[in-house]
Amino acid sequence: MLFINTHFLKRRPRREYLHDNYRPRKSHFFIWSKRIIITLLLITLGLLLMLLGNLAYGGTRTTEFQNIEFNKLSQGSMLIKTNTSGIYQQVPLRQTDVDMHVTGMIVRSSIKQQFENTSDSWIEAEYVFPLPENAAVDHLRIRIGERLIEGRIKEKLEAKRTYEKAKREGRKAALVEQQHPNLFTNTLANIAPGESIIVELEYQQVLHYEQGNFSLRFPMAITPRYIPGNIPQQFTLLSSNDTSEKDMAETISFSQTGWVHHTNPVQDAAQITPPVQSGPNKVNPVSINLKLNTGLPLEKLFSRYHNIVKQQANDVINISLANGVTPSDRDFELVWTPQVKHAPKAAVFSEKINHDYFQMLMLTPPNDGAHNGQPLAREISYIIDTSGSMHGVSMTQAKQSLLMALDRLRLHDKFNIIQFNSITDQLFSHSQIASFENILIAKQYINRLKAEGGTEMAPALKLALNKPADTHYVHQVIFLTDGSVGNESALFDIIHKNLGKSRLFTIGIGSAPNSYFMRKAAQFGRGSFTYISDVNEVNNKMTSLFSKLESPLMTDIKLHFNQNVVTEIWPERLPDLYNGEPVILAIKSDKPLQEISLTGTRALSPWSAKLNLKTDNTSKGIGIFWARKKIAALMDSIHDGANKEKVRTDIIDVALTHHLVSKYTSLVAVDKTPSRPVDTGLDKTRMPVNLPYGQNAYKSFGRLPQTASSAELNLLFGFSLLMLGLALAVLLRQAVPPQDTTEQS
Amino acid sequence: MHFKITKPYIVIFLFIPGCWFIGQGLYIESKAIVAQQLLEHAWKNVKAGDTRSKPWPWADTWPIARLTVPRLNIDLIVLAGDSGRTLAFGPGHNFASSTPGKKGNSLISAHRDTHFNFLQYLQPGDNIFIETAQSENTIYKVTSSKIVNMDNARFIDDQSSSYVHLVTCYPFDSIIPGGSQRFIVSARAQSKLGYTHLHKPFIKKSLENANFIKSILNHKVAF
Repeated sequence: MLFINTHFLKRRPRREYLHDNYRPRKSHFFIWSKRIIITLLLITLGLLLMLLGNLAYGGTRTTEFQNIEFNKLSQGSMLIKTNTSGIYQQVPLRQTDVDMHVTGMIVRSSIKQQFENTSDSWIEAEYVFPLPENAAVDHLRIRIGERLIEGRIKEKLEAKRTYEKAKREGRKAALVEQQHPNLFTNTLANIAPGESIIVELEYQQVLHYEQGNFSLRFPMAITPRYIPGNIPQQFTLLSSNDTSEKDMAETISFSQTGWVHHTNPVQDAAQITPPVQSGPNKVNPVSINLKLNTGLPLEKLFSRYHNIVKQQANDVINISLANGVTPSDRDFELVWTPQVKHAPKAAVFSEKINHDYFQMLMLTPPNDGAHNGQPLAREISYIIDTSGSMHGVSMTQAKQSLLMALDRLRLHDKFNIIQFNSITDQLFSHSQIASFENILIAKQYINRLKAEGGTEMAPALKLALNKPADTHYVHQVIFLTDGSVGNESALFDIIHKNLGKSRLFTIGIGSAPNSYFMRKAAQFGRGSFTYISDVNEVNNKMTSLFSKLESPLMTDIKLHFNQNVVTEIWPERLPDLYNGEPVILAIKSDKPLQEISLTGTRALSPWSAKLNLKTDNTSKGIGIFWARKKIAALMDSIHDGANKEKVRTDIIDVALTHHLVSKYTSLVAVDKTPSRPVDTGLDKTRMPVNLPYGQNAYKSFGRLPQTASSAELNLLFGFSLLMLGLALAVLLRQAVPPQDTTEQS
Repeated sequence: MHFKITKPYIVIFLFIPGCWFIGQGLYIESKAIVAQQLLEHAWKNVKAGDTRSKPWPWADTWPIARLTVPRLNIDLIVLAGDSGRTLAFGPGHNFASSTPGKKGNSLISAHRDTHFNFLQYLQPGDNIFIETAQSENTIYKVTSSKIVNMDNARFIDDQSSSYVHLVTCYPFDSIIPGGSQRFIVSARAQSKLGYTHLHKPFIKKSLENANFIKSILNHKVAF
């Protein structure tokens, strides 16, 4: 039973005794106020219900906007503007054939793409495509019917001029430019109505070798996905945000990007002229043929995301896709592992071009030290950013990472924790051994950390790096931050000058860390950069970082030639090595190399290895490999303050000699005979902005920030409570004891 | 079971929390408005050359740009960084993205219920003006708007032009904060206008250089 206590309302009846003629007046005022109160109560209830409904409905909200976006969807492919405004046409890529040839450490790939102009006018087409980051693009051919036009490497501006001239004169031309190390554009001029053109690109890359596995990745989103007619199917592909497929989002290139086009240059999908199609399922098909010549007996060979067919023929394994062709919706990745006893410890490949000798040297330091050698004693300085920008989830992530890091310390390790915001503070005045008590003290210190104030990074970095050189310890600095700083170059300077024997490892925390800063800081600090975007990732990412840091590292690696030669070696400064990582060097010399020796320091003791380089077999592509390494090193030197103009001329010089596309050189192919009558117009194709082409062409800023405040919710909730309170109060006020009313009436 | 609703209960359970929630809500809203006024002052300092002028002494951010949309009467100061704390005061620029006015993708986020509520009214073709400490107004034209999931938004990495992406939460009318959808308005710098504008001082300077060289040559001839 719910009794309404009217005790505090009794004042009115008391007043009644004073004024004898009191009678509860059922005046208009009371009737109306009662009605108003009931209405208000109902409104409040309604609002609360709405709130609940909103909570419950939140999850299914996606379906609603999907329908809105439905007919405004655009397709990811190249579009040509037609004369009628609002109507676009697509240039379909009819077929892409990829041929790859793996020999030793080098992969040579050729991509044939067949364009077809389905419009009835002459067009110029342009599209962007990703390639592996270390790809060296060196050949371009266009095939028109029987004719073949070979591309030439030219300085970027000169290439552009050549192309523009050909375009004006009505000749067929193609121009391949590098926008980024892993992003290229291909422009084609004067494609006749109904004509199809085959563009052939060749590039070379070096295999990735780590922990005994070789891997080769081909970004399949190289070809813009073209999907005819069947929009509903494509629609589900584009908007699928299913969390169960979250893991796949990494690899499925752009069907999973979650982009749903709201308004786009293509105003109405229905108006897109449907191009000729070969079949509903064979859209933008890609075929892959791979010749694998590793020269090593293999233990494992598999493709990560596609079904493949393998055929052994002598030393070569022929690999092709099980279905012949595949839609280009995910990257192709092939992984192989040589048998343990045959796992390459060292490899030398060489090539002679004119009077120069090029060598590629791969060497894996023995990793027995991790098991039987004395584990390396480390002195670790953890720097944690506790500035205001770390507030919230970032701080939680940072704290968790740090706590995990402490658990990995071994008794003979030393450690210290430095925090900084507007001021810098350290846990111990000197690094302490990782004893149980010290770790307990550190954990308490971490739990008390709060994010507030500014970001004064410089003093903390100086404090961590300025250590008296203690030769018995390897000094590692682990730096957790979101990198929200503006004075980057000043900080790089500090790292560069104070580094000494220390190594700096940066860990990017939070939704959108300044990864440029952290990557570069790690490069200057001769360490590595790890990005943790989500609390769930802390465990995984930190574990892999620590197992790397703990394994004996090899420092001070140097190369010695036991003969009198002039050499040019890239990279110039050899990085430190961690377990399972190979040294890969590109050497150019004026004489064939006989023997070289490598020296380094491993677990405090000197290490050396001698290598006999005398080899009869020559491999192709080593010169190109060397040139690509040189270009990458030169591009990096700009950050170290090298003269930009000097770097530019140096790169142009190397790129022209080795026929490579670079930031300053492009490939251009021009037909000798004009094909388009000059008086016929040329339509320029246009690419919609932000067209999804594949993840490599993308920049991701991680998780987007939270952009709704709880203001509305607070206001609504507050008002609801007030209304409820008011209503109850007034109702109670009215609820005069029943006996009173009966007496009166 | 006897439970009596009495006046003190109503006051304690309904009125006080009610007022508190309203206060919180108004505080957030007013912080958003007042901060923009304070930022105005800091922005003047920034334009005067003090690029890291903090709007208030304990602030962890500073103004980096001014964003205006004449058609909708929008005038906002953009802050450095887009952490939750910064966004309470104004739109925040993502550190990892490129600076507005420069080549590449620039990301600016703000709350859908305060500063970026106007995003829903932007139309393709609208002009967005962004002024930074280093440059005068760059004109951006709205190209498209999209709804994306916050976890897998990716931007095509086109370094040949300057893009700005305005990000806010979606749907606009949802009362519950913290949804996973984001509304993104993308705009591209108007190359012609932006170009001539940016290069004016350069042309002027090179002309000065030319005159300088000429005067030296004349001098030599006179010798």
